[in-house]
Formats: sequence, C-alpha cells, structure tokens
Amino acid sequence: MSSGYKPDILWSPHHADRYVICDTELSLYRIGPAGSPETKAGALPLSEQTAATLLAINSDTPYMKCVAWYPKHEPECLLAVGQANGRVVLTSLGQSHNSKCKELVGKEFVPKHARQCNTLAWNPVDSNWLAAGLDKHRADFSVLIWDISSKFSPEAVPAEKVRLSGDVDSGLVVTKPLYELGQNDACLSLCWLPRDHQKLLLAGMHRNLAIFDLRNTSQKTFVNTKAIQGVTVDPHFQDRVASFFEGQVAIWDLRKFEKPVFTLTEQPKPLTKVAWCPTRMGLLATLTRDSNIIRLYDMQHTPMPFGDEVEPTIIERSVQPCSESIISSFAWHPSAQNRMVVVSPNRVMNDFTVFERISLAWSSTTALMWACGRHLYECTEDAGQGAAAAEKDIATKMRERAQSHYGHDTVQVWRNHVLAGGDDPQLRSLWYTLHFMKQYTENVEQKQQSNKQSLIYSGIKNIVKSSSGTTETRRCWSGSDRQTDVPRYHSEERSLALQLCGWISRGPDIDVEPFLKSLEQEGEWERAAAVALFNLDIRRAIQILNKGASAEKGDLNLNVVAMALSGYTDEKNSLWREMCSSLRLQLKKPYLCIMFAFLTSEPGTYDAVLYESRVAVRDRVAFACMFLNDAQLPRYIDKLTYEMKEAGNLEGILLTGLTKDGVDLMESYVDRTGDVQTASFCMLKGSPGEVLKDPRVQCWIENYRNLLDAWRFWHKRAEFDIHRSKLDPSSKPLPQVFVSCNFCGKSISYSCSAIPHQGRGFSQYGVSGSPTKSKVTSCPGCRKPLPRCALCLMNMGTPVSSCPGTGKADEKADLTRDKKLAQFNNWFTWCHNCRHGGHAGHMLSWFRDHSECPVSACTCKCMQLDTTGNLVPSDSV
Amino acid sequence: MELHILEHSLKVASIAKEGIQICTHGLIKLAFLPSKTRCKFFSLTETPEDYTIIVDEDGFKELPESEYLSVAEATWLALNVVSGGGNATSSQPIGVTKIAKSVIAPLADHNISVFMLSTYQTDFILVRERDLPMVMHTLSSEFTLLRVVNGEAVAANSTGVTNGFVKPKLGNHLPRPIIHPLSSPSNMFCVTSLDPDTLPSVATLLMDVMFYSGGAKETGGQSEDSGHIRFFSFSLIEGYISLVMDEQTTRRFPNNVLFTSASGELWKMVRIGGQPLGFDECGIVAQISEPLATADIPAYYISTFKFDHALVPEENIQSVIGALRTNESTGQ
Repeated sequence: MSSGYKPDILWSPHHADRYVICDTELSLYRIGPAGSPETKAGALPLSEQTAATLLAINSDTPYMKCVAWYPKHEPECLLAVGQANGRVVLTSLGQSHNSKCKELVGKEFVPKHARQCNTLAWNPVDSNWLAAGLDKHRADFSVLIWDISSKFSPEAVPAEKVRLSGDVDSGLVVTKPLYELGQNDACLSLCWLPRDHQKLLLAGMHRNLAIFDLRNTSQKTFVNTKAIQGVTVDPHFQDRVASFFEGQVAIWDLRKFEKPVFTLTEQPKPLTKVAWCPTRMGLLATLTRDSNIIRLYDMQHTPMPFGDEVEPTIIERSVQPCSESIISSFAWHPSAQNRMVVVSPNRVMNDFTVFERISLAWSSTTALMWACGRHLYECTEDAGQGAAAAEKDIATKMRERAQSHYGHDTVQVWRNHVLAGGDDPQLRSLWYTLHFMKQYTENVEQKQQSNKQSLIYSGIKNIVKSSSGTTETRRCWSGSDRQTDVPRYHSEERSLALQLCGWISRGPDIDVEPFLKSLEQEGEWERAAAVALFNLDIRRAIQILNKGASAEKGDLNLNVVAMALSGYTDEKNSLWREMCSSLRLQLKKPYLCIMFAFLTSEPGTYDAVLYESRVAVRDRVAFACMFLNDAQLPRYIDKLTYEMKEAGNLEGILLTGLTKDGVDLMESYVDRTGDVQTASFCMLKGSPGEVLKDPRVQCWIENYRNLLDAWRFWHKRAEFDIHRSKLDPSSKPLPQVFVSCNFCGKSISYSCSAIPHQGRGFSQYGVSGSPTKSKVTSCPGCRKPLPRCALCLMNMGTPVSSCPGTGKADEKADLTRDKKLAQFNNWFTWCHNCRHGGHAGHMLSWFRDHSECPVSACTCKCMQLDTTGNLVPSDSV
Repeated sequence: MELHILEHSLKVASIAKEGIQICTHGLIKLAFLPSKTRCKFFSLTETPEDYTIIVDEDGFKELPESEYLSVAEATWLALNVVSGGGNATSSQPIGVTKIAKSVIAPLADHNISVFMLSTYQTDFILVRERDLPMVMHTLSSEFTLLRVVNGEAVAANSTGVTNGFVKPKLGNHLPRPIIHPLSSPSNMFCVTSLDPDTLPSVATLLMDVMFYSGGAKETGGQSEDSGHIRFFSFSLIEGYISLVMDEQTTRRFPNNVLFTSASGELWKMVRIGGQPLGFDECGIVAQISEPLATADIPAYYISTFKFDHALVPEENIQSVIGALRTNESTGQ
C-alpha cells in the first residue's frame, strides 16, 4: 500500500487515439504513428510503429481512487474521479474553457459520510447518471447514484453544521444523490447492465453480487460468492459477466444467476484487472499483481447454460507485451482489433496487439485455408508449371487419375499406367506385371477350366521356388558356330517367369523377337540390344544399335558401342576383355554397361548385371531366370524381393505377386507415397480369399472411397464400388432400405424379389409397359393399394406419366443411362420428417423450384433438411 | 436481516497505563503494519484508567506477557448485523440504536452478557464463545444466522440450547432500570476514519496521540478539569480503520486526511459505571440503548475493560440525559 499509486489506463470512448494515464494525476496522451510530423520531439515511443504525445496534465484531484470517462461524445473528455474520501469530482483534460463542459467541471458529489470511493460507472443510456460504489459506513449507503445535472442544494447542509467540510462555498457541491442503495455494506465494484439501463450489478463486501432495478430498489436478485471484485459485462454477450476474487475469475450468466457458469483456473497471485476485449468476441484478458504477462482466455465457443454439464473449452494463452518490465495496468483499444496499451509502474507505456491464433485447415483438394483475426487466406497449389508435375501432391495426382478412369481398364490392364499419366516407371511396371499375370491366368483357365492354378498372381518368387526339371543348355552365339561356355537354364517355371517379365509371349518356344520389335518401336535401343545379347544374338544386338544410331534424334555413340561389341572375343586374356571390363564402368547408360558386364563376366557370376539397380527389375529377373542355376536363382530372387519390399518399389510386385508378400510391399509403398488409389485397384485383383481380407487392404479401399467422397466424386465412388463388387462379391452391400406396406407391414420388395428372374427391389417398379409383368400398384402381400404420389395423385407403382423411355419401344433396349434414370423416376421417395412423398422424378422436379413439401398445408421444408441435398458432385458424369 | 457470526476468536485485554511502553512494539505492529501480522481484528481504546485491547488470536501473539496486561478469561466472538443491503427506507436511527431492540434486548433478556464495539463502519456485538449456542437460539427467530468460515458465509443452524432462564416477560414495555451511575464529560468527539493508503503519513501523529497523551504538552495547556475526559479509540478490522477522538485531537490532523461526514456531526459521551463493570453482568447495554432507540436518537457504544461509553449527537445530549435519568429514578 505504501508503494504509492499504481498507474491505471483508460481509453477515450470516442477518440481512438487518446487515452489517459491516472496515478497521482491525470495525463492525456495522443497516440500516433512513430516518426510522423504530427508526433513531435518528446513523443514517447510505444512500439516500433507508434508513439504517444502528452497533451495535457490535470493534477487538480488528489487522492484519486477511480476514474470513469463520460461515455457520450459531448462534452468530450469529461472525467469523473472518485476520491479516497468518497467525493466524486468531475474534471476535464485538454479542453478549452468554453463548452458545455465548463459548468460541469469542478462539480463535486459528496456522500454524507466520508469513506473511500471504490468504483464509478456512468449509465450507458442516461448519461447524466453516475453510480459510485463506496466503502461501508454504519449508517450510510454504499452505492450512490448522482445526477450530474442536478443543482447545488443548500438546504441539505445547514450552515451551522459546516465545520469540517472545506469548500462548500464554491456552489458546486451536490450532497443529495438520486438513488441510494446497499446499506451497511461496502461496494467493491459495480456496472450497469447494458440490456436494461435501469439495472445495476453490484458486488459487495458481504460476499454477494446483487442486481438492483432502480424502478424498484427494494427488490433485488443476489447470489453469495467470493468473486466480488471487478464485475464487468461482456460487450458482445450482454448476459455474460466476469468477476474476480484474489486469483480466481468467475464467469456468470445473468439469466442463470445462481452460480457461476464456470471459473477459470486460479492464479497464484491476486488479480488486479479483468477486461473483456471490445473488438473480439469472448476474449477476456486478466492481469495479476507484479506480473509481466497478460493472460487471455478465449471462450468464443463456450456453450452457454444449456450445455450445463459440459466442461467448457477455453483456450488459455498468455502474452508478454513488454518483456522486461512488470505491468501495472492495461486497456483494450476501443476499436482497433486486439490492440491494447499497457503501462508499467514507472509509467513506461507499450502499444501492443495480441496476435490472433492462426487456425488452418486443409481442404480435401490440395487447397489450404487459414484464418487469422478477421482475415481468411486460401492457398492453392500452383498448377501453372507443367514441369512441376512430378512434384505434384499425391492427392492431386490421385484426383486427376480418378478423373481419367485410372484403374478401370480391366481388359488392357497395362493401359492403366497411361491413364495414370504414363510418367511413373513404377506404375508402368506394375500395370504391365498385372497385365502379363492376367494374360497368363486367362491362358491357364482356357487350358484347364476345372483346375484353377494357385500360381496365378503369385509372382516369380513363388514360381521359381517350385522349379523342377531344369535343363541346362549351351548354345552357340547365333549366327556363328562358336560354342559359348555360358550355360543357360530352362524349365517350365522359368519360361513362365520370362512370360511374366514380358520377354516372351505365351507358347512353348522362347522367342524374344516380338519383344525386341516392340522395344525398337519405343526407341529403347540399349535395352533391346541388351535383351538380344542376353539371348546370345550379338549380331541382332549390333543391328539394333545401328538402327538406334541412325534413327531420328539417334545417339551416334551407339555405333561406337556396336563397334566395340563386334570385337567380342571369348579369349580370356585379350586386350578387349581387359579394356571392356574397366571402361564399361564409365558408360552412362545402364543397359550398355550390363552388356559389357555380361560379356566380360565369368559364367555364373553375374553380379554386375544382377545388382545394377538402374536396370529394370523385370529385365534383371528375366536375366536371372536364364543364367542362374537352381541354387542361385531363389537366393537372388529372395534378396531382390526383400530389397523391393523395403523400398516399397512397385516393380517388386513382379516378384511377390498379389500375395501377402505383395501386401507387405504395397504397405511400404503406401507408407512412402500415400497412394491408396493404386493400392486399392491393384489389390482388388488379388485373390478374394486371402489378400482382400487383409485389414490393410480393406483400410486402403475404405480410405480411397472416403477420399472420393470427400472430393465429392460420388459418381467415381459408385463406379469404384461397382468395380469392386465385380472383383470381390463379398463387398456388395446388403439392401439397407425396405419398403413395407402400410396395411400388412410386409416388405413389398420382398414379395417382389420372390418372383424369379426379377432383379432386386425397386428396379422393377414402374416398368409396367410389359404385359408379362403385373402392375404393382398394390401390396403383393395383402393387395391393398400402395400410397399415392403427392403430385400426380396416382398410386405408387404406376409409371411417371411425363417420362418417356418407359414405353414398349424401349423395352428391348439395353439399360441405357436414360433408362436407368427413367426407372429411378418411377421409384418413390419420401421425406423422413413429414412422411410425404411420391415419385422420385416428380419430387425432384418439384423441389427444383420449391422448398416446401408439395402436400398442401404441410410446411415442412423437406429439401432443406437434406444436408447433402444441396451439395453438387464435383465429378458430374 | 442477516446476522453474521465472524470467524475471529477475540481476546479482550487491559494494559495498565504505566505498563504501556512494554507493549508499544506489538501495538504499533498491529495498528500500522497489518501486512506483517496475520491479525484481522484489532482495536485499542484509551480511557483515563487503562488501554483496552480487543484482538484476535493471531494478533494476541504479538503482545508480551506482563503483569501490566490483564486478560478477560473468555474467548469472544463478534456478531455483525447485515441488513442484506436492500431496503433503502430504514435509514435514520444509526448505530447501536438500530440493533437495540432486535439484538441487544433479547440477549439481555436471556442473561447473555455482551461487549459492544461500534466503529465508523459498523457495530460489533461481542459474545462469549461458550454462550454462542444460546445466542443462536435467541436470535434465530429474528435473523438469518450465517457463520463466516474461511471468508465465506455459510448457514449456521441453531442447536436449540437454552441456558435455563425462561424468557422474562417484560412485555408491558416496562422500562429497563438503569443501575449504574452515568456521567457526561464536557468534551466532544469525532467518529471518523481514514484511507488505509494515507495511514503511513499520519502514523507518527497517531502514535503520539495513542501513547503520549499523558505527556506535558497535552496537560500543560489545560488543566485536568473534571468535565474533560481522555478518550481515544483506534481500530483496524478487516482492513477498515475507525477512529474515535475528541475534537481537539482532530485539529492536529492535516486537512482531508480524516473522513468526515458532510454535516460535520459531533458527539458527546455518556460514561456508564462508577465501579468497574466486570464482564458477567448483563443488560447494561440494553439499559442505555433501549431508551435511545425509543427516542430515535442515534448512538455509538464502546465497551472497555472497566467501563462502557455511549456516544450520542451533541444536540441530543440533554434529551438523552433526561431520558436516562428518568429510568434511573424509576429503577431505584
């Protein structure tokens, strides 16, 4: 207490650039941009941008305890000062002595018995009324409401009794208050209620908060509480009041005044100020004694009393407006958002804006939205650069692929990689693998209809494991009679593996020529040459290289390579061999590199070929199948499989097939890329029994469906579901909605589906043109009529009149889209709320123009109740 | 109306004038350095006979044991009447007068001894802790009884104990006889207060008034005429300061430090008792306050270790004396 007065701060209610600091005197400041010509030398910097200029000082009123600023525009800068002896003095700052103000300034309002004035509040509407809250006196009231326009009343103070009061002679002393409230109690804080300006909320010493109505002062509502300091009404929510006691803030709802709605976490030190932010809904700032932080409570979304039992969520933050000094007081700026000025005990001021929390949200597409204060920002991926396609987010890629029907080509399976954009080598490999696997499956199925092999889709790893009857041959280099010392292995499984690698097509003979042709067509000269070489056809290889060199944009270096190749000798110690094995490492192109590695390697040791990671897996595997013996081959394949699984490389699907191994591999691929789309489509082709039941696979599929839904690709999702149900019949959903007859309660679709050769449920309704089918306008169970359509008043089951396409003429036609739609038009639909309904087609067209139910006298806004009804799919078919 | 039973456990003590110096350290701490003690209730009243101290248990620890210090054996509890803040109408009869009929008379009728302490802010009725059940029983019909526990008022229930005295049927408004002799000193008194923030600035002056009143300066000017009494009271209760001093002493304070009423009212004293009154006799406060309440005269009432003191407005002193004398005569 002895430390003197701590400065407090008050913003002008009407001038956004003025405030008053009050401690032992009143100082009026104007705030302005720092360094502007207006702010002269001597301006106090408040922040990097702003500075304050001292406009006026008023030291006429000693023993100040509280100050309140007159709320109306005129007279501006009129202040009421509550003093330690209970007197309330009107004063002004920085005003020329002319205005209305003049007769008010200096006016004093004196209570009968002197004691400290704790708080002052101007009535927000009747701005002549000033409420003062005083300490208690045994025989006096603690709340006095003064009318500042009232005149001096001499009869109140008999002359002979004027002994101890000093300056009554000035004629400006008012001793008769308009209202007196609260006897034998102190008033620590008070505020007028904005909802009703005749009502006053008082907080008293005897631990209660009370609401008085000035129209009937004998009645009050009150509640006992400790939290009786600093009552303040939320300017944005006029029934919400904060009050505090020591370190605890209580939030009240005046409509439910029995107990606080909630209390905020208690602070170890007593609070000195609590203030609602005037510019931001539900933000409360609190300050404790000797603290350098201001604590903020964001209760914007706090459920008000209805959610009584729910613990409200309040976001608590603290800010440190000036790092070094403790804060004596603060004041929110009346209009600038989240801005405040804080003042330290030695009157150092700081202009500070509370930075709003940033909340951000991803859209289901790649856009990002973030909100800060009253601003909303949207960031979208820059789609301008075509070159950046590779760096596109996987979600964008998946969206694009979904739109291009990726995954849906079940005939030319390999084409799916083209649908995916054709620029991803892994996807290319994957879809080719699946293509070859499918081809082979079909082959097998044709041969042995009955005995389905389990090898299918099971990958080379499993195929070569069961290898038996391997034969070893030593062939000549084709076109020469020179015997090679390179052993080459054959078996049924190996040639199956080669088929899956795409080197040879089905059939018993190993003929790579078609494959070479296709590689030549695609301009993969080096690869073609390597494949030719591995098939021991050096001449063909050289021919390919020459062709490549002479092709358009061909690389002339290929000729040089061809020359080098032609010099091949199987002499062990030749210069050629020596140079090739060392210089080949400098070749940039992997296929050229492995050609020379092959030629210079000892038979059986082909590590330089097998572990050249730049070479496609399928080529390395094919190579291994030709040149590794039964012992080496499974080891190599296992090792490679392991590598592929680790890396999540889709080329490895060739090895694993669509088995559990494949799911493992796909898992690491999805972990790496997030591409659930490819995973879903790929795994759907696997065996329904094992692979599809794997929870990981189900998870990918569900996620992909959710993703499509989130993008509003409802048609795509439906297509996917259809695609899925074809491959995995167990995924077909059971019928979820049944229509029961009003009279007998039996499902009418049930009776319907009992008739053979009729499809499920509703698709049959209304297809009444056919004479073979009975009209279903009555319940098949009890023969009572079905309800009527609210629009055409026909019994359900009759076709929609205005709808073409259900006539006889179309009967033979396929189920075209029109037809399907027409059938849907005949189906009935109803509102779950008012239970009115009718033909779907009629309803749809009705609600295109109306919002209310078509049944007269029913005011149900059926369509608006349908939250998704107003959403538009973003993939209109 | 609510009656709050405050949580302070109070001791009433007397310090002989000649022994005051050994207690000054503790008293100064209690009066001027409230943050250094846990004391919430402290009152010091100087009369010509002694210093009367009313202090809670935390504050009592600050006082030394001494032969000059005599302590009333009981522990006392303070009662405080709260009007509930609401009714704006009943305003004029202030102080003890207001509670005379509702609290003091019933307690007197039930032979419960009370000790009064009026301050600038309110009136405290001190009762012995052991009498509390009886007090609650007596007053539960008129008041909502609330007990203050840890700063929060909670409902207190009367246990229905009686002390065996049947309520005397003084129903015919028979005036209570006044037993003890009365005297009225000539000097006039101020009941006032001051802002705790300004207390440090007047602390030395207050110390002078409290402890050095018997010095040459005071007595030198005016000889101890029989009608003049030395009386000063200081209390610091729950942060509120209350002062009672004679008019001359107030002049020694700087302007605007003391709280004064707008009308600048002054009070005269009625001193009760020729022999020290003791603590067991009941009905003394009632004898004085009832006639005043009937006559609608506001009053303060301060009990001390030996005597009781009532303060009444100066303009009413004659009618007060008159009213009390009437009772005195009828009683004898």
